[in-house]
Amino acid sequence: MCIIKVCNVTYSYDGTRTVLRNISAEFEAGNMYAILGPSGCGKTTLLSLLGGLDSPTQGQVIFQGEDIMKQGLAYHRKRHVSFIFQSYNLIDYMTPAENVALTSSLPPLPVLESLGLTKEEAKRNVKKLSGGQQQRVAIARSLACDAKVILADEPTGNLDEDTASSIITILKSCAHEKKKCVIVVTHSNDLAKQADVILRLKKGELKPI
Amino acid sequence: MSFLKRAVLYCFRQRLKTAILFLVLTLIAAFLLTSLAIRDGVRKSTAQVQTAIGGKIELNLDTEGHMGGGEQNQWGTAYYYTGDLITQDIVDAIKKVDGVVDYNSEGTGSYYGAGVDFKYLPAAFDLSYTPYGESSSYTATLSSEKCAHFQRGEYKLVDGRHIQPEDSHTCLISKELADYNHLSVGDQIQMYSLDAEDITSFEIVGIFDGTKGTEGNALTVDEIPANCGYIDYATLFELFQDKIDGYDQLTIFVEDPVNIQNVYDRIAALPELKDKTLKLDINTETYDVVSSPLESLEKLIHTTILFISLVGVAVLTLLLTIWIRGRKREIGILLSIGKNKANILFQIFTETLAVTILSFTSSIPLSYLTAEKAGTFFLSKAAAANAGFHVEVQASYLAPFYLIGILLIAISVLASSWTVVCQKPNDILMKMD
Repeated sequence: MCIIKVCNVTYSYDGTRTVLRNISAEFEAGNMYAILGPSGCGKTTLLSLLGGLDSPTQGQVIFQGEDIMKQGLAYHRKRHVSFIFQSYNLIDYMTPAENVALTSSLPPLPVLESLGLTKEEAKRNVKKLSGGQQQRVAIARSLACDAKVILADEPTGNLDEDTASSIITILKSCAHEKKKCVIVVTHSNDLAKQADVILRLKKGELKPI
Repeated sequence: MSFLKRAVLYCFRQRLKTAILFLVLTLIAAFLLTSLAIRDGVRKSTAQVQTAIGGKIELNLDTEGHMGGGEQNQWGTAYYYTGDLITQDIVDAIKKVDGVVDYNSEGTGSYYGAGVDFKYLPAAFDLSYTPYGESSSYTATLSSEKCAHFQRGEYKLVDGRHIQPEDSHTCLISKELADYNHLSVGDQIQMYSLDAEDITSFEIVGIFDGTKGTEGNALTVDEIPANCGYIDYATLFELFQDKIDGYDQLTIFVEDPVNIQNVYDRIAALPELKDKTLKLDINTETYDVVSSPLESLEKLIHTTILFISLVGVAVLTLLLTIWIRGRKREIGILLSIGKNKANILFQIFTETLAVTILSFTSSIPLSYLTAEKAGTFFLSKAAAANAGFHVEVQASYLAPFYLIGILLIAISVLASSWTVVCQKPNDILMKMD
């Protein structure tokens, strides 16, 4: 069942440089999607539009049958989607537990522990954690808010192979076990192979592989 | 997590920034409070000076065109004033005017007397026109205390009392003249007036100092200030009753120099003064001399307060701008998880507000100390101007101080954060990656 879709979306920077051209795509809950494409082809822009970080020049982003502009982008970001960034984007003066608590009023420890962080690590400053641990905190923050769509931008880009593999496993389980729609933008063919659906973005057009 | 909790976490975790902000705000607040205390001290002193000195209105004879055609006598041509004099009726009407607190007439050189039973301090020439030697000049007055020399503080009464309006046959002489003739308060002296051709007795009611010795190149005795004294007007009128029918000058004292114009207008409108050849002028000379340094100080303090406020807002805005630029990623993260602009601005405002309240509170005891020091400093400066000076941090201006301070902080937070918060989260986050 389609949970989020883009309809005839066009996006251009400053009204001149068009990176997405009349794109339409549907994304379902319980699936992990991988969007592949060369640098600068608009993968991250598409993710931003899906997540309400920006609005399309033309076209619509529809979440559960409703244009996300209707209730506002901030509302969409708060209720419907969560982000995982390549550079983790954690607030550096907070602990992992506090970072997770930013998006949820539920106790953060069970989520962090389920992703392999210890109680002690959950109370450390995030700057004292390894890259893999920081990315797990970012995933925990995504999961804690109970958003139905997880948008991940190069989530393994800064991680070693083993850690990247464990992160992919977590994202897959988010899609399959927690029935979330996970959309991952990546350069990595290994990560893309783990996805249920692979889409390629080239010359402003999105095509399934 | 609420913005309040985030703000508390930020203040505690970013201790260095919090401490810098605390110090900057405490210093600005202490400077401002001290300046406000000095300003209030200056205002109080000005008010004290206003009450102590008051304002003056001068009523004089309008001699222009009223000096007659001239009369020939043994000395040449003498001109006599032919216009109106300041009669007792006019004086009585003026003293009833609202705002008038006192009056005095000071007729310098109204009486020339030669010492019958005493001698003047000698001058270069002995020009004895009378059988009793040279004459010196006396100022006829209703109240010697209000005469210009005493008002300006040049002369000081060292013994006895001043001449008062109800006195008759009284005089005030200088300490030097008294010492020269071994005279003291209560003694009777006799003077011969060439104009009145009569010897008159005067009781010395007071002795004053400040005539600064007998040095100089005085040619005649009346050029030596120590030889010149004061007599009461009643004796003058008694001696010259056929020639003098009023005062030739009247100084009217007004309670509040600030409202002197209103009193002037009321006096000018008196029917007793209508069509009279008299001139009415406002004289704030004494008040201006004393109060102008205080007014200059108040202006300086006002400029300082404005300067500190502007510099404070500028420094705070600059500091917050630099720090908020460093918090762009945090703002981007908060926007990406759905926090709205207001929520983020409230967090930054709460952080600054918490430090501000602590700083302002800490600045109160600090400003008490600095205000005390400032008070001592200005007291030493103001002593010469005969003005009391007390600097104190008033509890009454703490509430507006907090309110205005918080308003300025809000403006600083808004000015420094607005450009970052208004960016699209995508622009913030993607540029970082």
